[in-house]
Amino acid sequence: MELTVTQENFARALSAVSRVASNKTGLPILSNILLRTDNNRLLVAATNLEIATTQYIGAKITKPGALTIPARLISEFVNNLPKDTIKLQVINNNLHISSGKFTSIINGVIADEFPELPTINEASSISYTIHIDDFKQAVNQTIITASSDTTRPVLTGVYWHSHEGQLYLSATDGYRLSERRLVETKSDVSAIIPVQTLQEALRTIVEDSDTVDILFDETQVRFRINDAEIISRLVDGNFPDYRQLIPAKSDINVTVNKQEFIRVTKIAGLFARESGGSVTVTVDADNKSVSLHSIASEYGENTSELSAEVTGSGQVTLNSRYLTEALSVIEGDTIEFSFTGKLSPCILKSVVKDVDYYHVIMPLKS
Amino acid sequence: MNALWQSVLGEIELSVSHATFTTWYKKTELVSQDEDEVVISVPNIFAKKQFEVKFNDRIKKVLAKNGVEPKKITYTIIVTGKKTHINRETTLNNNPVSQLLSSSPNNHSVTLGRPIKGLSVTGNLNPRYTFDTFIVGSSNDLAYTASLAVSSNPGMKYNPLYFYGGVGLGKTHLMQAVGNEIIKNNPQTKVLYVSSETFVNEFLDYIRFKKKGFSDKYRNIDVLIVDDMQFIANKEKTQEEFFHTFNFLHQNNKQIIISSDKPPRSIPTLTERLRSRFEMGMSIDIQMPDFETRCAILKAKASLSGVELNNDTVEYLATNIKTNVRELEGALNQLLAYAELHGIEPDITTAEGLLGSVRHSRPQHLTSKQIIDRTAKHFQLAIEEMCGDKRDKHIVVPRQIAMYLLRSELHLSFPKIAGELGRKDHTTAIHSVEKIEKAIKLDFVIREQVASIREKLYV
Repeated sequence: MELTVTQENFARALSAVSRVASNKTGLPILSNILLRTDNNRLLVAATNLEIATTQYIGAKITKPGALTIPARLISEFVNNLPKDTIKLQVINNNLHISSGKFTSIINGVIADEFPELPTINEASSISYTIHIDDFKQAVNQTIITASSDTTRPVLTGVYWHSHEGQLYLSATDGYRLSERRLVETKSDVSAIIPVQTLQEALRTIVEDSDTVDILFDETQVRFRINDAEIISRLVDGNFPDYRQLIPAKSDINVTVNKQEFIRVTKIAGLFARESGGSVTVTVDADNKSVSLHSIASEYGENTSELSAEVTGSGQVTLNSRYLTEALSVIEGDTIEFSFTGKLSPCILKSVVKDVDYYHVIMPLKS
Repeated sequence: MNALWQSVLGEIELSVSHATFTTWYKKTELVSQDEDEVVISVPNIFAKKQFEVKFNDRIKKVLAKNGVEPKKITYTIIVTGKKTHINRETTLNNNPVSQLLSSSPNNHSVTLGRPIKGLSVTGNLNPRYTFDTFIVGSSNDLAYTASLAVSSNPGMKYNPLYFYGGVGLGKTHLMQAVGNEIIKNNPQTKVLYVSSETFVNEFLDYIRFKKKGFSDKYRNIDVLIVDDMQFIANKEKTQEEFFHTFNFLHQNNKQIIISSDKPPRSIPTLTERLRSRFEMGMSIDIQMPDFETRCAILKAKASLSGVELNNDTVEYLATNIKTNVRELEGALNQLLAYAELHGIEPDITTAEGLLGSVRHSRPQHLTSKQIIDRTAKHFQLAIEEMCGDKRDKHIVVPRQIAMYLLRSELHLSFPKIAGELGRKDHTTAIHSVEKIEKAIKLDFVIREQVASIREKLYV
């Protein structure tokens, strides 16, 4: 193998894929990345056997070939090189890299040792092309409520599924839940995508990314953003049927300015550190106000109030961190906040037209 | 069908590296096999591709060696439950979805998963250990009563239940009896009995080989019994993991039973947070059985073997073996076996002949000097201080303990005891011995100190 690439392209591709390369598994080859020529491009790939990421970069290829080399070393080396062209040459399974006055030789392992990268049959899978901003927002809005508890794997991903002709994303960790409608769909989809896969997909987005192509089949999913591809297994299992848990109507409804709500929640949160974030929200229909109260027995207490459009009066105790996180991902200047009683689910919603997103937080038993 | 695949895997295992085998081959299975096609299930898309492209030739070759030459080998990923509809499984599992969103982060009570594989209902319990076969005496009746309470109401009464005491005093028996009793009352209960060593090993496997199912195994159970807890005391990471497991189970009102050779506060390397958690339930020490209990144990064990022992023999054994029930049983078994082999009565003469070495062996080795030495060393005092005139508290108590031990172990007369420790008046010795005897019943620190010195005397 012999080729020339630019430092910028190579460094970007390396840093994107080397995150996935790991030596956590027992297989040492997985901490290497794969370099392989492909027509006029260089393929850079890594996998941890859950996800595989690949990046194609333009290259001037003199001699085709392939090799695997330790991900961290090459990634850090190339990152530190000045912006210039880099010449790569494989001699006896060693990669000779030269750029200006820098030359180094990195010991490699033959490409044949590297796991075969999965491929997806485009003809038999369901595909979507989604605008990058919608994708980013929808994933960011749902990923925060996914669980990190590996004892219940089905909750450790975001559930992409079709429901009444629409594609929805939802995730829950048992204490909160979020659901976002993404696009119309004619096909039936039901897939749980691991959180890490989505995080990698988000990281792959660059400034000039425009759309993301998503391809599902029974057992895997592929994201394609610009010249990058992420292919991942799906979480095996069935996502719980959460829809029946979401109340259609609540007795107490508040419409409130989001920024102000975030401010009082953060302030109340300061006094709630001792109590595990517990903040009591009181809604008063007569005063048309919402107040947040929190107590830190050792340090003091806090009550913050803000005016709002209110129907119904009541009280609920929530985790202030959950509340702040929910508020931070809901679009628009105003939000809707509703609940029925002390122990019923609390629903936060965007009031922006055409955005179907809601976030459910379960109250704390106070 | 399985046998075929096993022999295929067996052959492959020899020819590839361990890492390769565990990564790729371990989770594969033979799904179906006929003349045309062999179907093999693989765990994920990565494995599927790898098999299709890289391993197919090898598989083909090894299959042929085993006399199977299909036209085609297909690799498929087994997906659980995808075909069945979403709602069904959740209801099947007896876990209403309504529990999915629960009110408090402390309330993890929802489990949507399936029962864990590999956890038999009996959970490694030895069915021999039941309450029926446990002999209760004054040294262990508290432990016994607490165990009964726990087994009739697991997770509610004393949680955790923590037993401590020397070797061979019945900790394991009692813990397993609780487990067996719980299963008897409610066969659905998942009881897991592990030694702390097993816990450590499985945790290491989990860390090292990314073995799955560790948390599953330990968190999806109703009763966790951990024997010989002291072995994880110096293992920081394991303690941490155990801490999380403990919290998880405890919060879900699952019963935890632990045994150790020392009370939590006397295990120096135990982290503070574990220690305080162990102490929040009930800690009970199991003492050496007294003479009457030892007799009762011997009689019960003998009658289990279908032999009636006369009182002399029982008393002989009970008098001579004081420290450890296991040794007591050992001596009894030895006696019974010997008697049976030689066709003679297991009476006191046989016992004397056979266990002559056991009899008196200990006190003979022991001198009063050793006792005083040991006691002084235990409290880090000089012999001169022990036998001197000072009456500071930190010297007086050890001195009294030494006197008590001289009395209890060597049966010395009071004037002799006083003399050994440089006291003129034998009433001092009487007072001391009585004081410690009383303290042993009331003060667990003293009890423990005495026990630990006594143990060292016989090493």
